[in-house]
Amino acid sequence: MQKILRKKSFPQWVKKLESYKIYAPAKNGDVWNYEAVNHSEDIDLDYLNSVLSPKKIIFPQREIFLEFSTSNDGNPEINEVLPEENPSVIFGVRPCDAKALTLTDSVFGGDFDDLYYWRRRDQAILVGLACHNPPSPNCFCLSVNGSPHSKEGLDILMTDLGDRYYVESLTEKGNKLLNLGNKFFEEPKAKDKKDLEKINLASEKKIKRRIKEIKKIPPQLKEMFDSPFWDEEAMSCIRCGICTYLCPTCHCFDISDEVLSSSPIEGKRVRTWDTCQFPDFTMHSSGHNPRPDKASRLRQRILHKFQYFVERYKNYQCTGCGRCISKCPVGIDIIEVLDKVRDYGT
Amino acid sequence: MVNLEDLKKEAKRILEEGKIKYIIGYERSPNGMMSMPAFIKNPEDAERLTWDPSCVYNLTRFLVDEKRRKAKEKKPDTRPVAIVVKGCDSRAVVVLLQEKFINREDVYILGVSCEGAGVVDEKKLTEKLKGKKADKIEFSEKDHFLITSDGEKIKIPAQEILAERCLECRANFPVIYDEVLGEKVERRPEDPFKSIERIESLSKEERWAFWKEQLDKCIRCYACRSVCPMCYCDECVVDTISFAVAADTTAEEKAQKIKWIERSPDSSENFVYHLVRAIHLAGRCIDCGECERACPLDIPVRLLNKKLEKEAKELFDYEVGFDPEKPSLASSFKDDDPEDFIR
Repeated sequence: MQKILRKKSFPQWVKKLESYKIYAPAKNGDVWNYEAVNHSEDIDLDYLNSVLSPKKIIFPQREIFLEFSTSNDGNPEINEVLPEENPSVIFGVRPCDAKALTLTDSVFGGDFDDLYYWRRRDQAILVGLACHNPPSPNCFCLSVNGSPHSKEGLDILMTDLGDRYYVESLTEKGNKLLNLGNKFFEEPKAKDKKDLEKINLASEKKIKRRIKEIKKIPPQLKEMFDSPFWDEEAMSCIRCGICTYLCPTCHCFDISDEVLSSSPIEGKRVRTWDTCQFPDFTMHSSGHNPRPDKASRLRQRILHKFQYFVERYKNYQCTGCGRCISKCPVGIDIIEVLDKVRDYGT
Repeated sequence: MVNLEDLKKEAKRILEEGKIKYIIGYERSPNGMMSMPAFIKNPEDAERLTWDPSCVYNLTRFLVDEKRRKAKEKKPDTRPVAIVVKGCDSRAVVVLLQEKFINREDVYILGVSCEGAGVVDEKKLTEKLKGKKADKIEFSEKDHFLITSDGEKIKIPAQEILAERCLECRANFPVIYDEVLGEKVERRPEDPFKSIERIESLSKEERWAFWKEQLDKCIRCYACRSVCPMCYCDECVVDTISFAVAADTTAEEKAQKIKWIERSPDSSENFVYHLVRAIHLAGRCIDCGECERACPLDIPVRLLNKKLEKEAKELFDYEVGFDPEKPSLASSFKDDDPEDFIR
């Protein structure tokens, strides 16, 4: 289903979606982030990209699994906690971030469905916003099977045509959303389609950064596990969690018990984000850590994204959003690292 | 003015002599204007070194890594490492020396002058350039930076795009060095604690609201800790099991390990993290501002440390990182130290 929506009608359409919880990018200080929105007028789609991807809504940094306590008769009591039934619409999703969710879908689905992830995922409707201009100078979606107007993972894709949006519904969920605001939409004319094509072509040309000959990288990485390369590359790494926490595809987590009171026992079992960059990641109870230094941790990040994930899911675990490059406090650039990997030893 | 060729020549000389293990310095990033940390081992690579207002990083943090690496080596290379330091960074070296974390003979200090200016705030520059991309930034005549953008040269008064901490800097020339480049240009800040004025003027309730809003944004990536040269503890309270577990650590010892803080990024735990860090930096923080620069969520963490810096000055007349021979604040005691705040 393809429609045209005048920009001034956008808030009115959103108002019709009152039965949904609405998320949109919001500015806090100098940074944009996805927040729950109460008034449709507050949505500002004139933004670049959020610091954290919408991953934080589908796979929140903290998720309560269950609550435990001692009941009055002294027996343990355990209550399952599930995400609320709360259908949501996420506006302004960048194509790279939508594609990223299709990757985390593979991880949290497959042989075993992660109940918590899917409860949120199934309830969310993703309304994408094609990138006119690359949101970041470090965007490289074209190198990793993406594009600034990719529809993958989205329910609706909106493209800014100046005074109006070109709105394409891609799923049943998307159709439902458009139908709720039926009277605000118009049929696209030939000129609209032409404008759309022009913008899509131009937006691709504006993406300057590339990973060259990416196909050579996975087999090359396989040969480089024991290479001294990683020691050299990791010299400037400070082992913080920015690259992984900001990554729309990173999905590692830890489960721990948060005890509020030890007598009587009361507490919660929670899942929180974890990252391969932290010193206690994969620390064994024996005290042995198979990844004892920052070189092995940097290697893990790169190999997971460009070798292990490719072997398992036939896709790169990276959508080229460029966040890890832009926000690294010491300027580690994954494109540079991969360029060196590809040319290593030649 | 620092002559970059002099820096490269000096770097080449010390590497050729073979008395230095490697040099921790700055090099240009292949993308964009910002520099990045460089680790130079071979004399011919000394060419890569740079020094310009984009050298924001406090490289002394890598002296901590060096010490850790050396401790693990069976036959450690005991030669010193050389490090390029700005005035503020040199004060961090002083603190590491005072605390006996490093020895003077383990480090060869290559000081560079900030030429009476300082380093750039990338965000301020981006705003100033209104969408134009900067390719290069250089020190220009007194108090100006020269920006190259799309082949065009733009001169901007340094004051307009300096990092906040540079506006309050009290050491724009290295306080300790083996070799120093550039001139000492006196520039005293009008008020070294101006940045905390606004928060100090707020009521207790308003301050609480301010910090709650700020710290609630924290995702606990620990970039502020990781980038800090003073956060060198082997065991940090926030890491769940980073404490020294060895093959012979008993189950009982592990069980007795107290979990001081939960991983959940909520108000309570975020406050614990940031306040523990701030207190541990009292009398130690030299205000390099790296914590705030590294924060992806724009939390003004520097202000916490700035407040404690002011307390140290006002209560104990102590200024951090100027004299390696003096004891640190926490390890010095005077009979007339104020104590009326102890209740």
